[in-house]
Amino acid sequence: MLFEVSGLSKRFGRVAALADVSFQVRAGEVLGLIGPNGAGKSTLFECLAGVLPSDSGSVRAGGEAVSASERRALLFYVPDGIAPWPRQPVRWALDFTIGFLGGQGALRQELVERLDLGPLLNQAIGTLSKGQRKRVLLAIGLLTRQPALLIDEPLEGLDLRQARDVAATLRAHAARGRTLFLSIHQISDAARFCDRFVLLNSGRVRGEGTVAELAALAAAHHAAAPSGDLEEVFLALT
Amino acid sequence: MPSPSRLWGSASKRLPGGRIGFPTGGSTFLWLLNKEVRELITSRAWWVLLVAMGPLVGVSFLSAMRTYAEVSGLNGTSAGVGEALSPLIGVWAPTFSAAELAAVFLLPFVAIRVVAGDRQSGALKLEMQQGMPPFARMAAKAMVLMAGWLVAMLPPLSAVPLWKSYGGAVYPPELITLTAGHLLNGGLTIALAAAMAAITEHPSTAAILTLSMTVGTWILDFFGAIEGGWWERAAGYTPAAMVAEFQHGLVRLDTVLIAAALIGTGLALAAVWMGLGMAVSRRVYRSAVIGLIAAGAILASMHVQASWDTSEARGNSFPEADERALAKIRGPLQIEAHLAPEDPRRLELEHRALSKLRRAMPDVQVRYFSGTSIGLFEQTRAGYGEIWYELGGRKTMSRATTAEGVLEAIYSLAGVAPPPETDDDVFRGHPLAVPATGAGALFYGFWPGLFLAGAVLIRRRFR
Repeated sequence: MLFEVSGLSKRFGRVAALADVSFQVRAGEVLGLIGPNGAGKSTLFECLAGVLPSDSGSVRAGGEAVSASERRALLFYVPDGIAPWPRQPVRWALDFTIGFLGGQGALRQELVERLDLGPLLNQAIGTLSKGQRKRVLLAIGLLTRQPALLIDEPLEGLDLRQARDVAATLRAHAARGRTLFLSIHQISDAARFCDRFVLLNSGRVRGEGTVAELAALAAAHHAAAPSGDLEEVFLALT
Repeated sequence: MPSPSRLWGSASKRLPGGRIGFPTGGSTFLWLLNKEVRELITSRAWWVLLVAMGPLVGVSFLSAMRTYAEVSGLNGTSAGVGEALSPLIGVWAPTFSAAELAAVFLLPFVAIRVVAGDRQSGALKLEMQQGMPPFARMAAKAMVLMAGWLVAMLPPLSAVPLWKSYGGAVYPPELITLTAGHLLNGGLTIALAAAMAAITEHPSTAAILTLSMTVGTWILDFFGAIEGGWWERAAGYTPAAMVAEFQHGLVRLDTVLIAAALIGTGLALAAVWMGLGMAVSRRVYRSAVIGLIAAGAILASMHVQASWDTSEARGNSFPEADERALAKIRGPLQIEAHLAPEDPRRLELEHRALSKLRRAMPDVQVRYFSGTSIGLFEQTRAGYGEIWYELGGRKTMSRATTAEGVLEAIYSLAGVAPPPETDDDVFRGHPLAVPATGAGALFYGFWPGLFLAGAVLIRRRFR
């Protein structure tokens, strides 16, 4: 196990965005965080990364509590829908990730090729399309060194071919031992390349495990057991 | 179970005290500076500021040159004397006033763009995961913004060689003081705008609040002029009042310290509110602590009395012979002036005599008494207009508000013979009756053209 989240809660006024969220993240796995819009997926990632304060809860690694500031060495979070440094070219953003965020320079060229960023290197980030921007953000995240990488909606804005290429890139990255924790609202996408899942709905964890484990959990809750399809399991548990 | 450091591999290291942190170093700060410089030079607001500076300075410089030449006898006018022919008062103060205008109306937008841009674009969420303290991140922004403000000061500074080419006299200490005053004023604007940009969610809200604060200091000036007392004291530390002192070549340590404290406070507040990962209640608590420390520093600074008159005309000082004579007078000198805040005689007494007296005699206590703010309807009241001096148990009264009248009253009270008058101390001025040839081309052509070309090239480079 890489780290464990226990009792994480976050309120926005009267709305409980996260309520007593607990789950485990295993080293080297591709963990999918799935849930409908508004389930609290982005809030959970932001609280874990320390860019949003949580009201309560803890993260433990190796039996030790890890404070929000210490988590920076454990995980890196790539938010969805941002356009960082919009006037700067992609080339500079990658260099900045290596220089400032401590990214791995050795991976730069490989990621440029895998994510097809070559033609975009001299283009300002603010002028990129949604899909192009997403690929740049993925490159930024994949360049970083932290053992766990949290990516909010990694396939959002990508066409079919790009989504397939990105999925392959993420898989290759995970094969090197890095843990990926991906927030995906398209359950069919998540089912394709995640090892395990955390199901989140209305700020609560509804289940955690492989598709088979989740199907068993759903069967325990319902008289009619859902099939082994993740979508069916998700609907049964949420 | 394996330890976290082993699990996290090369990405982590244990810092002294067992704390686990991400590797940092001096090069990361250089990367941050690199980023802030790039953000500044791609900021449209900064280029607008630069392009506007040339014409703003041009209008001020040409107008000042015309007046100065006329006072110096151009076109058959009679030559003026003394302070009117001081380049500091006649040329540099009005020329650099363009920087004051830019600091109020243009610089805040540059600072807000640089500070709020990260949050707007989402870059802040990535950068803050590096772990660099928010104070360091804000320091990088402040350094780059100050450098940007220094570039904006190039047009007014270019007036100096132009003035010298006309045969004008330059006294470096007073010019350095004036430039330093405008840099400090720029620092205050940057700190205020940074704090507002960090505290508010949206840049437009930050801009409104920053301008409101500036208007607030003008209201404070107005209140100070009407109400006197603490209002007047506080109004003495507004950016406008601070710049006015530097424009006269006066460097007061209390003013500099208070400005530095305000700059530090603004940047510290900005750093606290840029820490998105901190609970709002904690940010409020830290802000309150910063506010208390700032209040303490400001109150302590108000008691500092050191000051320097860097003007060539010694416009903020009595003649040296009088200063030597005043330095020999012992004991606290108490002055009670029965003059209303808006009475012109009070203004003359304060600016021509008492401000100089405070510099020459640190142990002076001045109190003003009045029943109204303008004094117009108090004229008939017995005692109105009287200025009482008390030294060593002896008292004397005078109605004179000139420097000579005040000195005479003090000398008679102290039993000190006034020093003999000499012409050595009298500032004769530097008359210069020449037209401002080439200034129009420099300020309306060269500077805007250069900055426009720079803006176009940069935009092409970063397209």
